[in-house]
Amino acid sequence: MLALILGSLTVLPSLAQAAETLAGAELASASRPNIVLILADDLGYSDTAPYGSEVKTPTISALAEQGLSFTNYHTAANCAPSRAMLLTGIDNHLAGVPNIIEMLAPEQRAHAHYQGVLGDNVVTVATLLESAGYHTYMAGKWHLGSASNKLPISRGFEQTVTMADSGADNWDQRPYLPLYDQANWFANGERFQLPEDFYSSRFLIDKTIEFIDSNLQDGQPFFAYVPFMAVHVPVQAPREYIERYEGVYDKGWDVLRDERRERAIELGVVPPTANMVSMTTTKNWALLSDERKRYESKRMAVYAGMIEAMDFNIGRLVDYLKIQGQYDNTIFIFTSDNGSEASGPDNPTSLVNSAGTGNMGYHVNYEGLGEKGSYNSISASFASASVSPLAFYKFYAGEGGIRVPLIIAGMPLQLQQGLTRAFAWATDITPTILSFAGVELPGPRYAGRPVLPITGKDLSPVLMGESDRIYADHETVGYELTGHAVLFQGDYKIVVNQPPAGDGQWRLYNIVTDPGETDDLSAQQPQRFQEMLSGYETYKRENRVLSLPPGYSQMRQLFSNALQERYGANITVIILALIVLLPFFIFYRARKHRS
Amino acid sequence: MNKILKVLILLPAILFLVVGLRWLVDPAGVAPSFGLSLSQGLGLSSQVGDMAGFFLTTSICMLIAVIGGHRIWFYPPVMLLSITAVGRIVAWLVHDAGLATEQIAVEVIVSALLLVASRRLPAAS
Repeated sequence: MLALILGSLTVLPSLAQAAETLAGAELASASRPNIVLILADDLGYSDTAPYGSEVKTPTISALAEQGLSFTNYHTAANCAPSRAMLLTGIDNHLAGVPNIIEMLAPEQRAHAHYQGVLGDNVVTVATLLESAGYHTYMAGKWHLGSASNKLPISRGFEQTVTMADSGADNWDQRPYLPLYDQANWFANGERFQLPEDFYSSRFLIDKTIEFIDSNLQDGQPFFAYVPFMAVHVPVQAPREYIERYEGVYDKGWDVLRDERRERAIELGVVPPTANMVSMTTTKNWALLSDERKRYESKRMAVYAGMIEAMDFNIGRLVDYLKIQGQYDNTIFIFTSDNGSEASGPDNPTSLVNSAGTGNMGYHVNYEGLGEKGSYNSISASFASASVSPLAFYKFYAGEGGIRVPLIIAGMPLQLQQGLTRAFAWATDITPTILSFAGVELPGPRYAGRPVLPITGKDLSPVLMGESDRIYADHETVGYELTGHAVLFQGDYKIVVNQPPAGDGQWRLYNIVTDPGETDDLSAQQPQRFQEMLSGYETYKRENRVLSLPPGYSQMRQLFSNALQERYGANITVIILALIVLLPFFIFYRARKHRS
Repeated sequence: MNKILKVLILLPAILFLVVGLRWLVDPAGVAPSFGLSLSQGLGLSSQVGDMAGFFLTTSICMLIAVIGGHRIWFYPPVMLLSITAVGRIVAWLVHDAGLATEQIAVEVIVSALLLVASRRLPAAS
């Protein structure tokens, strides 16, 4: 009997592998398709129409109708780690990006794999595609290293225009945080001056079209990576888009969160059982003055306008590809790097907050909010609505921080259409793209150096309708960010969220029936809970996750690193100058004393 | 009068010291003020090494000359600065470089000050 069970266990993965191989062969058998990977920044789970949003996203909706939308896709809780996994298919800790560089403590940076930049031990999907004869383009935010050997031009992209940091202004070449002394834009590895009429979403699509157009006639397929700056802070949009949403959010964040949940249930994105928690960071809308309500509504209108502007520009790319006869041979992947950003202040117009933005040369006035020269964001309250019906948001391991939209569509594939609840993880994107292109995964060495194996899985069996899941029930996927941690297994997840929004307690949820994480099952299913806790320890060990330095706080570290980054070199120079001058001073005093 | 002259020399000496140290500590931060983009490999090595060498040598020679009272130490910075100014003019005339008027002015004025000081300031006993 035992032999029979063991035999079944060994056969199951073989069947899954066979299905994967078959599906991959089918995808690759078509002539090599173009691939467009579109990455929104800080876009919440229900921020697009196919996932329950009131924001008009006709292009994304059309892609969703034509392709498959993943409702149980997860990624990292913040930017660079997510991008590292997306582009390499390898856990972000092993790929050198356990966190954004701006939040790493000096104790962590003492370790080679905790540098916050993409390591040389991994190969990007762009490198592999370029080697296979693809043209590889990138226009957008990179945030995986700004040294010349870390920029995308050195990581497999043939033509690039890139924002190297965590973000920047969407209207001008200016930094959005005092952390940066300038907005570090590069084109093909050289510093780049943005044009006068710059607006990020429009510009990035202009450049993408320009890149594609430059080689269109040679018949080679292309891979275009378009990591938008929308809807990262500063949340900014052209006025005509903002105006479409003025007044839409006057009922506040609680109403919006409810409406989006209902719409997500109607669409089948979440089950009817999807309940919601109320985040402690969500303020009481009823207690706000009318003036504050008007202002908050406008903040969210700008956010919505920025999403629609992004969608419009994606539409321009789609139209271009149709005109050029490339659309039918192009696969689109649309997703977000993490959940909605909740770090915007509760009241940006307060004396302290407006002084901070004013010091950077921005205004926060109602009039012109989101337009050129204005600094806008949404607070935790509307962020909670933008991830409805999920709990938590960016930087946390709650579903709102790590569950995001994923749409894969394209005429070259006879894809399943509609929704899938199959669990998928950020590392799965690279092997899926390679499968589309018919490119083999790299071996243990690449270009003469040892590289880590891709651990993500090809999503083709689900895309082709040959399987309803990629991960077997026993398989686990782990993740950690500054002590916020999660382990997925089957329909379940254990999760711990640290303060201030979390309480440091591990919990167990069934995220298929309860995506809102309302019903902690750890007491009801203690054995599963313990096994998954043990599984997390294994994940931590295998992926070299370091424990946090004592007293670590991500926001405090960000502030400390900002000071160090901005003024550290100057302080060092002053100290060294004093050291050099000291002997001269002593000599001068001694001589004066003698005379 | 000599005190004023000493102060007028100490100020650029400290400035050159800071610039030289910045080339060692934060080349990316100081390079743009010279109209430079940082190179890689040997180019970066030359940029950091040569620029730090130039400014630190100039500064320390000026400090030794003024504070130590050894007048001969005025001459290396005079040569470094004046030849740099000549080089800039040659670059403008022959190599289509921009005419760096402000930089040339600083180099000429400081060289002149150093020459004056080498004659006026008393030598160490």
